Amino acid sequence: MKLRHLLASAGFVVAAAAPASAHHAFGGEFDPSRPILLKGKVTKIEWVNPHAWIHVEVSKPDGTKEVWMIEGGSPNSLLRRGVTKETLLVGTEVVVDGYQARDHTTRANGRNVTFTDGRKLFLGSSGTGAPLDGSDPTEPSRGQR
Amino acid sequence: MRYRLLTFAGVIGAAFVVSMTPGRLIGQAPKPGGGAAQPSLPRTADGHPDLQGTYDLATLTPVERPTGMAAVLTDEAAKQLEKQVAARNEASARAIKGDRAAPPVGGDGSVGAAGGVGGYNTFWLDPGSAYTIVNGEKRTSLIIDPPDGHVPPVTAEARARAAAARARVVRTSDEIARENDPGLEGPGAYDDPERRPLGERCLLGFGSTSGPPALPTYFYNNLHQIVQTPGSVMILSEMVHDARIVRMNAQHLPQAIRQWMGDSVGRWEGDTLVVDTTNFTDKTRFRNATENLHVVERFTRVNAVTLLYRFTVEDPATWARPWTGEYAWPATKDLLYEYACHESNYALGGILRGARLREAEETQKTKK
Amino acid sequence: MSRRSSPLNTVIIAAVAAAVGALLTAAASTLSGQGQIAAYRAPRTADGKPDLNGIWQAVNEANFDLEMHMARPAMALRPGPYGPLPAAPVLAWGAVGAVPPGTGVVDGGAIPYTPEALARKKDNHEHWLERDPEIKCYLPGVPRATYMPYPFQILQSASAFFIAYEYAGATRNIYLKDPGRPPVDAWMGQSVGRWEGDTFVVDATGFNESSWFDRSGNFHSDALHVVERYTRAAPDVLSYEATIEDRNVFTRPWKISMPLYRRLEKNAQLMDFKCAEFVEELLYGQWRKAPLK
Repeated sequence: MKLRHLLASAGFVVAAAAPASAHHAFGGEFDPSRPILLKGKVTKIEWVNPHAWIHVEVSKPDGTKEVWMIEGGSPNSLLRRGVTKETLLVGTEVVVDGYQARDHTTRANGRNVTFTDGRKLFLGSSGTGAPLDGSDPTEPSRGQR
Repeated sequence: MRYRLLTFAGVIGAAFVVSMTPGRLIGQAPKPGGGAAQPSLPRTADGHPDLQGTYDLATLTPVERPTGMAAVLTDEAAKQLEKQVAARNEASARAIKGDRAAPPVGGDGSVGAAGGVGGYNTFWLDPGSAYTIVNGEKRTSLIIDPPDGHVPPVTAEARARAAAARARVVRTSDEIARENDPGLEGPGAYDDPERRPLGERCLLGFGSTSGPPALPTYFYNNLHQIVQTPGSVMILSEMVHDARIVRMNAQHLPQAIRQWMGDSVGRWEGDTLVVDTTNFTDKTRFRNATENLHVVERFTRVNAVTLLYRFTVEDPATWARPWTGEYAWPATKDLLYEYACHESNYALGGILRGARLREAEETQKTKK
Repeated sequence: MSRRSSPLNTVIIAAVAAAVGALLTAAASTLSGQGQIAAYRAPRTADGKPDLNGIWQAVNEANFDLEMHMARPAMALRPGPYGPLPAAPVLAWGAVGAVPPGTGVVDGGAIPYTPEALARKKDNHEHWLERDPEIKCYLPGVPRATYMPYPFQILQSASAFFIAYEYAGATRNIYLKDPGRPPVDAWMGQSVGRWEGDTFVVDATGFNESSWFDRSGNFHSDALHVVERYTRAAPDVLSYEATIEDRNVFTRPWKISMPLYRRLEKNAQLMDFKCAEFVEELLYGQWRKAPLK
């Protein structure tokens, strides 16, 4: 299954390499019976740990507006790829799919967070697999600085 | 005569000034004491190897060896696997449809930590891109002893402890929900914040990232920084901004004093820094070990950009025998950023509230 | 003025010359960067810098209130028939909950708030229980981390300068090479350090707006900029100054200063103070399966 394959690459499938005690149980925070698809404007980004939160204002069918908090990962890896608080601007249109919080508040996990054309947010120059293991004694292992 | 006196004074004065301004000592100097000296390694003024720097511990090499694998990968095999990982990363970075549907009701099929709801995009992650290299070998596990690359069997006492812990949990109608929902944990797992994993509570980083032993998270934020002074060596783990201060040539704290990361004392054995850690709390529970966990770490500088990190774990109450692992700590030019966790831990409240709401809904259902 | 130069005379003259040379060298070092002659010349690290390594602690009442203040009944007050009284949630603390008097650490006495900001400070003070981040064990920010009444350790090498605070395990890595603009805001900011003579000067920016300066509601915005100066003033004393500016809150930069004292106990070391665990009941207790009565 393609999705499982993708998730395997993300480390979500518990392979031998996965941590014994997981980061936290997404299944405990979000509800698989409540899928969501949101389209709206970014109103705020909280660049915080343990999760970044992207606030998205969506228009409901009745015309009123509602703000959803979308949970992301830790911002630190993004910062190392050159992302800053100016990278994602307030007002940017995004599309989010995921599952609503189990406490039924307007929060969801950002299973996929993309621009309206489907491009994924925050794609940095992470490279395509040159080993970064310090095996070259003259080069530190990584870093674009 | 006066001229001679002034010149003499000037020479003495100059000599004094010169003696008070030591030159750069890094990279030279034979070290005191025995052991094989490597004159090309950077050293601190007291002659010991300079272990300082920022290191990225991310690696594809798991803690335990996958079944059927040899201990060492051929360069060919490693390249293959690393390319596969790179290809998967590239695939997961590709655009999807902007005009798409919500994921399926009942979950998207993901298991483990993703618990049916799928976690989030891989652009957040930084789990490692290469197998760790030790002595020129690409390793398939961090564990080198036992030689099969697996954690030794747990003791009967440890099994009894785990069973007793499960028995303490009150069984509720949550069981039904749990059977139908792969994301939920066992009954009672959400009753109190104290039952949640330490990482979720922001008390320690997940995956034993600070340890000791310090392990890769296979997720992100694997950066560690070492600062070395004559009296103390500090190891900072990005998550959760934990600074473990190793007191050099010191005695352990009294038995009654327990610490989340234990109490670390260090000494030099030749060019290797040996760190001995005891006095863990009974809440740390590295892989369900007791507070009598004892960890010995060995830090050795391999070359200008790499440390070798070796750790031995023992707890006779938990494992039949001690076990040892090792992996490379490559230096990085990347910066280690603040990981303030507790301050914005919205998730923990959401998890507990969600559990209470679910119980209330279950109660409603059973009433009908 | 001729004199026979005997060997003994030569030795005596040389010794005097050496002593004078030493004194001049020492005085020259302490003169640089301070603009005044300091009495104390600190021992050096191997790379020739004053050695700031050690465990230090502030001994004052700054964490209660930076400004000079009289003793107060409590940190949270309510109106009483004859003056303010401890608010109900802190009443049981009795005198343990009182605010001790303090001679203040602010140069010039008062913090130069804008009128709107002063109103907000007073509002903060009245809502101390709900708003002081210290209550929730949030990271203390800068410079509050320095004068929290708990020890901190400076780890200084030729290539690094790191401060580990016992309170909440807060940490600051002081960059010795400026990494550029901080990409996001942080509780403890981003610090860049350099030596000016015998003073270590730390320039800190990149703060979020969430920390406070003390338990009296003194606050800042995310435009906070702090410049600290650490100087060894005596074998076991660090002289500490922090200049604070924030264009959104204060009318001008202002300064605090205080001595920091070395923890001299033979067994001095930082111990765990992970208070996040201790506030779980406060933050999450109502969502236990069986909330405590």
